Amino acid sequence: MGLSQVAVLASAQTELRPAWRDAQHIDLISSVVTNVFKGTGLTIDDVDFVIDSGSDVLDGRSISNCGFLGALGAHHKEEARVEEDGLWGALYGVNKIRAGASIGLIVAYSKPSESSVDLYWSSMVEPFYQRPVGFGQKAALGIQAQRYLAAHGIKDEALAEVVARRWAAAAAGGKVAMGDAPDARTVLASEEAAAPLTDLMIARPVDGAVAVLIGNADVARRAGRPPVLITGMGTSMETHSFAERTANRLDSVSNATKMALGKAGWASAAAADVVETSGSSVVGELLALEGLGLAPAGKGLDAAQDAKVNRSGGALPADPIMATGLVRLAEAAKQLSTPVAGGAKAPAKAIVHGTGGVAMQTNCVFTLEV
Amino acid sequence: MFYAPETAPIDLPTFKSTIAMPYTLTPGRSAGTFLAEMPNRRIVGSRFAGGKVIAPAQDFSPVNGDEPEELVQVPENGELTAFTRVDGVVIGLVRLDGCENAFAHRILADLADCKVGQRVAAQWASEDAGTSITAIEGFVLSPDAPVGEVKPLVGPAEPLGVINYSMALDYDHAYGPYYGRMFDELKENGVVMGVRGSNADDALLPPREIDDITHKRTGTWKACADTGTIRACSLINMEVYGQTRPVPYAYAEIVLDGASTKMIHIIEIDDLESAKQTIKPGTRVRAIWTKGERKGAVSDIERFEVIEA
Repeated sequence: MGLSQVAVLASAQTELRPAWRDAQHIDLISSVVTNVFKGTGLTIDDVDFVIDSGSDVLDGRSISNCGFLGALGAHHKEEARVEEDGLWGALYGVNKIRAGASIGLIVAYSKPSESSVDLYWSSMVEPFYQRPVGFGQKAALGIQAQRYLAAHGIKDEALAEVVARRWAAAAAGGKVAMGDAPDARTVLASEEAAAPLTDLMIARPVDGAVAVLIGNADVARRAGRPPVLITGMGTSMETHSFAERTANRLDSVSNATKMALGKAGWASAAAADVVETSGSSVVGELLALEGLGLAPAGKGLDAAQDAKVNRSGGALPADPIMATGLVRLAEAAKQLSTPVAGGAKAPAKAIVHGTGGVAMQTNCVFTLEV
Repeated sequence: MFYAPETAPIDLPTFKSTIAMPYTLTPGRSAGTFLAEMPNRRIVGSRFAGGKVIAPAQDFSPVNGDEPEELVQVPENGELTAFTRVDGVVIGLVRLDGCENAFAHRILADLADCKVGQRVAAQWASEDAGTSITAIEGFVLSPDAPVGEVKPLVGPAEPLGVINYSMALDYDHAYGPYYGRMFDELKENGVVMGVRGSNADDALLPPREIDDITHKRTGTWKACADTGTIRACSLINMEVYGQTRPVPYAYAEIVLDGASTKMIHIIEIDDLESAKQTIKPGTRVRAIWTKGERKGAVSDIERFEVIEA
């Protein structure tokens, strides 16, 4: 018997808000775990295993998933925590189904509003040499951006246009809480976060939860819709030492993409009709697009203009840290399974990117097909 | 939530908490020597087979894991390879002369004056920064800084063994609708409120929207008594970090009358021997409420005491 194909069966999300002050983690989690089954004909009893992603440091407790098991629907089930973006949780889940399980529930959540996001990042860097001098996520993203702009002669106005475009897309999608979506001028005028990046050029941390139900091909066929199959996956990690990484390139995105495309049998990521990426900053998003092979080095801006890229808005307007990549997977699967108007070409292939670590140290890529 | 996913964002008070952890970090030989040499104003690097030098010193190559052959003294001058500004502080990557790598440090200059390739020189802190990398206050722009050379590290200081370190993280936890009402009822009415399980009359404490076991919606609210039964207990006679009261005392898991779940609380004891006779599973207990204004916290119940038969 060959390895089973694995499909995305359903997903559910809470609204992504700067702060969910009237809800605990368990409230957000139980909401998406309850909602993800609606319309599928499946129940929590059908789920063979639960994989969840979140951060103990952001949550403010050790092994925080232990306190969330009931909300996760994981009582007396096989459960595992992935301390990495939920897209890695999905990767774990896909492999479990390939190894014989039928249905898996992947959950990722985040409440950065409850803690200090700068300290969360600071806890990730080296304590002897990096932390004392103030090096952290913002500094790393700033240096990454400064180098990229200098190397390719790009102006920050062009970056601001991309950011405004992403916010407008998120506003249209209606799942991200925001006031008026900022235009390019507002993006440029927002406070300096890490020169040359302004606050709005860095992914905005938000609270929220997402649940994705995956199943083997038999279950997917019975679910009654053309299944969205996960056909390729890849991950790769850069060295922890930021200064030693290749400048102006995310090698790990290229490596993860190569792995995923090889499994899927695609010649290039350009085959995708839907592209969902997780950039930690606007320059991070351009580097990710280049790493995916959608643009040559320094030409990420061109790819970023393409209508198929980040229709959901991507990570810039809403970054539920640890859940962002799984949100991208949910959004891409939804775009592939939404019926299109008569005569229009339905999207058939998607590529999904998730990231983690300081200045996008680790990266994960999925291909989806209907 | 599940009922009303469309609630508008509202600002509510949060539960403030801090996690402060003491650590003893082990820097290892290379970083330990680098830090020990900071008061001597010498910058220590690692030299690998083939002559490659990196600074600050590391016990292994961050690129391929190779072990260095020896520690060396590297120059204080170098060049700026990248830079940014965060919270008004310029942070750059500096490659010291003779080294193959760069590392992050403060750049003591205006951002507008920074250029990639610019010569820089270490500025030592005027005040004693001890064995910290901040003994180098930062790097100043120094166009005429001579190109230095890597030298043998003569008479290296003993590497630091361990470094005491602490990290404190502050949190503002949201109560959510269920914990929110439970604590409000405690504060306003001095009543412990739970919600009924999805298929039971007994209440779950703390209350929640979804029953952990059935993953179905929980039932209606229910006031529990402030009396209950011990279902598990332990007599604590050892002092450990994080305790809130002197030993000995009893730690007990108590099922309040009307509830189905155990709550954890404390029973004061006079001595271990008599406590062993009276405090055990099945013992009936009552809550002793904290005197004064209730705060809407678990500490509104000061402790439990045994109900004499």
